[in-house]
Amino acid sequence: MVSLTNLKLRVLFLSVLCFLSFNSVAQSEGEQIFKSVCAACHSIGEGKLIGPDAKEWMTSERFTSTEDPEGTLIKYVQNPAAFGVIEMPAQALSADEIKAVLNYINEYVPEEKPVAVSSDLSEEEEDNAISNIYIYIIVLLLLIFILTSVKNSLKESLSQPTETVLESVKNYITINRNKIIIGFILFVSIMYLVYNLMMGVGVVEKYQPDQPIAFSHEIHAGLNGVDCNYCHSSAKNSAHSGVPSANVCMNCHAVVKGGDDEAKNEIGKIWKSFGLDIETDDFDWNKVDTYTQTPIEWVRVHNLPDHAYFNHAQHVTVGGLECQQCHGNMQEKTVGQVATAEELNKIDYNIKDGIEFDHPTLTMGWCIDCHRQKEVNMEENDYYTEMHKNLKEKHGTEEGFTVDMIGGLECGKCHY
Amino acid sequence: MTKTKKYWKGLAELNNDPIVEKLAQNEFTEEIPVDEFLGDSGLANSSTSRRDFLKFLGFSTAAATLAACETPVNKVIPYVVKPEETVPGIANYYASTIYDGHDFASVLVKTREGRPIKLESNKTCTNARVQASVLSLYDSARLRNPMKDGKDSDWKTVDTDITSKLNEIKNNGGNIALLTSTIISPTTEKLISDFSEKYGNVKHIQMDALSSHGMLEANLETFGVRALPNYNFDKADVIVSFGADFIGNWGHPNNESDYSKGRNPKNGKMSKHFQVESTLTLTGSNADERIQIKPSEQAGLLSNLYNALNGSSTLDKRIAKIVDSLIEAKTSIVVCNSNDKEVQLLVNAINNKLGNYGSTIDMQKTSYLRKGNDKDVSNLVDDINSGKIDALITYNVNPSYNLVNADEFNKGLGKVDLKISTSLYMDETAINMDYVCPDNHNLESWGDANPSNGEYTLMQPTINPLFNGRQFQDSLLSWIGSSEEYYNLLKNSYSSWEEKLHDGYFEGEQVNHSLTSNFSAPSFSIPSSKGIEFEISEKISMGDGSNSNNPWLQELPDPLSRACWDNYLTMSASTARDLGIKNWHVSNGALNGSKVNITVNSKTLENVPVLIQPGQAVGSVAMAVGYGRTNAGKCGTGVGHNAFTFVNGGKADISIIEGEHEFAGVQLHHTMMGRDIVKETTLADFINDPSSGNHREKYYTHDGLKTSDQVTLWDKHDHQTGHFWNQSIDLTLCTGCAACVISCHAENNVPVVGKEEVRKSRDMHWLRIDRYFSSEMTKERSAEEKISAIDMYSEMEDPSENPEVVFQPVMCQHCNNAPCETVCPVAATTHSAEGLNHMTYNRCVGTRYCANNCPYKVRRFNWFQYSDNDKFDYNMNDDYGKMVLNPDVVVRSRGVIEKCSMCIQMIQEIKLKAKTNGVSVKDEDVQTACSSACSTGAMIFGDSNDSSHEIYNLKNDPRKYDLLDHLNVAPSVFYQTKVRNKS
Repeated sequence: MVSLTNLKLRVLFLSVLCFLSFNSVAQSEGEQIFKSVCAACHSIGEGKLIGPDAKEWMTSERFTSTEDPEGTLIKYVQNPAAFGVIEMPAQALSADEIKAVLNYINEYVPEEKPVAVSSDLSEEEEDNAISNIYIYIIVLLLLIFILTSVKNSLKESLSQPTETVLESVKNYITINRNKIIIGFILFVSIMYLVYNLMMGVGVVEKYQPDQPIAFSHEIHAGLNGVDCNYCHSSAKNSAHSGVPSANVCMNCHAVVKGGDDEAKNEIGKIWKSFGLDIETDDFDWNKVDTYTQTPIEWVRVHNLPDHAYFNHAQHVTVGGLECQQCHGNMQEKTVGQVATAEELNKIDYNIKDGIEFDHPTLTMGWCIDCHRQKEVNMEENDYYTEMHKNLKEKHGTEEGFTVDMIGGLECGKCHY
Repeated sequence: MTKTKKYWKGLAELNNDPIVEKLAQNEFTEEIPVDEFLGDSGLANSSTSRRDFLKFLGFSTAAATLAACETPVNKVIPYVVKPEETVPGIANYYASTIYDGHDFASVLVKTREGRPIKLESNKTCTNARVQASVLSLYDSARLRNPMKDGKDSDWKTVDTDITSKLNEIKNNGGNIALLTSTIISPTTEKLISDFSEKYGNVKHIQMDALSSHGMLEANLETFGVRALPNYNFDKADVIVSFGADFIGNWGHPNNESDYSKGRNPKNGKMSKHFQVESTLTLTGSNADERIQIKPSEQAGLLSNLYNALNGSSTLDKRIAKIVDSLIEAKTSIVVCNSNDKEVQLLVNAINNKLGNYGSTIDMQKTSYLRKGNDKDVSNLVDDINSGKIDALITYNVNPSYNLVNADEFNKGLGKVDLKISTSLYMDETAINMDYVCPDNHNLESWGDANPSNGEYTLMQPTINPLFNGRQFQDSLLSWIGSSEEYYNLLKNSYSSWEEKLHDGYFEGEQVNHSLTSNFSAPSFSIPSSKGIEFEISEKISMGDGSNSNNPWLQELPDPLSRACWDNYLTMSASTARDLGIKNWHVSNGALNGSKVNITVNSKTLENVPVLIQPGQAVGSVAMAVGYGRTNAGKCGTGVGHNAFTFVNGGKADISIIEGEHEFAGVQLHHTMMGRDIVKETTLADFINDPSSGNHREKYYTHDGLKTSDQVTLWDKHDHQTGHFWNQSIDLTLCTGCAACVISCHAENNVPVVGKEEVRKSRDMHWLRIDRYFSSEMTKERSAEEKISAIDMYSEMEDPSENPEVVFQPVMCQHCNNAPCETVCPVAATTHSAEGLNHMTYNRCVGTRYCANNCPYKVRRFNWFQYSDNDKFDYNMNDDYGKMVLNPDVVVRSRGVIEKCSMCIQMIQEIKLKAKTNGVSVKDEDVQTACSSACSTGAMIFGDSNDSSHEIYNLKNDPRKYDLLDHLNVAPSVFYQTKVRNKS
């Protein structure tokens, strides 16, 4: 029964995927603009998000009651302030573009949500693995029974005394030769377990602590396409990527207050760090100094020990790595999490750079994996000019100079 | 047969001694004090069996291990509103000024996330005390609140009280005295005059802990200007100093760099430096020729010199060479440390006779760093005692500690109605006051300074005040009743404020002194005195004692005695022998010494330890000021004895007493024992042959004579591909001032270990400055006089009575054939392609093989956890003190070896900066903490693969040599031969 429902779900999921991919191919201009410009604040037919539902808004009396509903809509989008609306910023879109968006909204057919399905799938995989083990055990036990009964019937035919299943197992174990074999097997498996246990010490893959604010990277970096560096602004020029200070959040959230109660509650926490209530107070940049400020205490996800030094600028700016190469597709996740090595191995950038991780994320082996495989781009940086020349002479090749060849494996580069 | 035979284990058994019976029963004859070391009497009675104990132990170990596997939850707390200029992880630099009434320096303050963590020099030299002043900012002994009658109060109460009392005094026509250090801030001076105007009878008295009153008065009489001249030591061919320690503690901080500019043999020319002194000073130890005199002979010798220059033939033969050199030289400088006006008048006359004014001595660009007037101060003490003073305000001074008549001063304080101190600490003076209005530290304050005529610097806060203090100037403003802030006052005093604030240092308005030339030459004779004379000295670590609670400075070894956490009476070996005073080494090598009672001018200090100091003139003794504080804080209180009691010097009565003193010294030997650790030559030889003195030893092989690197067993590293970091240390330019040592402390989070640990040779300095004295015995002499090797070596151990001194900074030499790397069992110390020897603390298991195999002994073992440990109650065991830690360098934990990393964090930072900008590494940017603190240019750091860099030339200099070259360890740090300008 279980597998049958699973099958149904799989078919459903696949069909949704097909539908999605088909849709994305046939994406109209209107859809593109809507997704990149409007979708951050407006949904279609799904109720209020940050701004009102686009479909409801289009068909509201404010516009339908005018002589030229479409013309008014276009003017409204281009300059909402003229209509007394200050929450929505003016959009630099041409009349034609806005028309295309309006058409898209009109013709929009709601999609099925695949998110819930995918999470079911992963659970089901785990269930399968466990039930498989049970099946093996049952089969093995059956085998013991069958073999014992065969043995007994043979013994009966020879009119020797028979033995029960337990007795035969006991007899088997007490033979000296078998004792050694079983002992050896037990020893090896215990050592294997211990080894695995020890190798897991300090491995923090999938570490995802609860955060004071249910911040979603998916909504910000994924759905709204906010650049990673907008919030983690120091990653480009400092050792630390930096957790954004509350004033960076307020650049948007002074205006964007959340569509539903849940969102409002979370965004309210940022307001609270300024000593303000999102429902009743107004945020004024000129008065920030007068607010009672209490910082938000986030829980650190990527914990670097004191004895290891890591510099984001070196990797992001000089090395030219994308954030995803170490952090995974954060734009598809919610609160911060340590990506697994398997996940990172699937990242396109890593495949393109020829990087494959063998060690768990954030262990030293993992760093070394990359330093052994990543080639340094020496062409466009004058710092490397002299070194590049020397390396070419030394190795007799033109390229393929990985990080370890220029001292990337030296202890003192990270430990001091 | 055999059964009847009996063997005895000893005579005792044969005699049937009862002890034998006892020993057969018990291993030890005496009962083992089990209870004592178990400490807990409950343990002995507990019913827990050994087996149970082991079970519990096993279980708890397993549980603890499992618990430790859990990832600790760390918080990350961003700003609410991030200041625009702050980027977490990136340092900001601000130009500011350090001036504490004694030391002055224009500095760049390195701040990380809003915390000042390091000071760099900005146009002026920074000495060890200035370098360490960043730690004083985070001193938890600083006052948290204004105090009223010794209890915490608040500013409102204190201000209301003070203002009403001041007004009362004003209305009754009372006298107010404002006792300050030398004020070099023009805006503060203006403010003080405003204050005087408001309250009428205000007397502003300036005092210096170590006064230059005599010199100031002499200049007033001679030139009509009460100021110190500006000396151009770089322009002088001959420098003669009578006791003035101008490299260490005397005069303008730039003296040191000026002096070394004239001492670079590269140009084939060096100034000739004579030092005539009784106590070996830092300056004296750098002199080409040093003449030892008794303190009382100084004036007479100067007189003799003056007469000789004027053609007199009665010449003291000790200074004959000086006279010849001075007459021969085109330009010269004669300086003297005397605080006697008459003596200084004579010095002025000598300099005038030599035509030095206008050429090497500038009376226009005068220095204002000392303005104290001894006469005013002694009048004030009299006035206080006769009840003439109604209110006393002190600023930046600690008269109850460093006045020679401090007792009298303290006694009189009872007669003053209103006593206010503005000290940062509850110091000796503040504790006697009604109100303490704590000033802010320099790094929390606004200010300006006019250290010399035409030279200005600005001071800006780099951190919000840590405590509820208020800077003195704002206190004054509030007592005047002004609502103005000092910041606005300051800002309005300067045009193009922002630009000046950015630079920190600027040339400004120069007053044109109208000079008189009223020279006179008082005459002195050399007294024929017997007996022992006392004079005070000043340590480069402690200065006048105001930084006494700074553990970095307390643990900074004196460059000459190499002792720390102490002051002591220094005495020559022969004087000590006459008095029966001894220094000796105890079983662990540490130094112990006799103690004495000393009486000078009918004042006595008891229990004073004596350290035998080569170079101290026979018949004289000296003692450093700055110690013996009674209210300094946990580090400074009770360390040493207060030598300010004897500040005027005089005949000393010394009586040896029972008991011995334990010194904490970091170098227990004095001489090089005939080895060429420091290679030396003379200027004349150097001009003939630049490689003179730099003889490279050759060794017999089957293939003929070879140098050590030609018979190597080592594989070569590839140092050509990338960078090759090298450091050159010029032993001619190094003055031994130790600013680099403190700079290294600050940059690399070097822990302070305390006196007891230093005594056990467990000091943690990554960089030490070895000091060697010359000995009368040399290998040549022993060959000539046919002295046996044993006698030779035993005599070599003793330094000369008037030795030549060399300083040699030694940090990890970053050997490219590193002995430490080969013996590490866990590969915790490894080599880099850039020529550095890396130390990976997290890999180290603490076998200490590396330290044992290191020929330079630069590796330090963390015997204990020095941070967060009450047993080491210094800055790392203190929430405030920890704020000075450099976040880029890990704080090492117990059980690992640590050592100089060549400031790899700075190298990495510079490389990254070059990479992000897409340019090659610029030479001038590359620095280590020590090289950046070196104001003489003795330490040069750079990439020797870059032929345009100075280090490339230095590496190929004929003077370059490797320390312990015969070992062929191929260090990345190399030295330049010391050149002396002597015949």
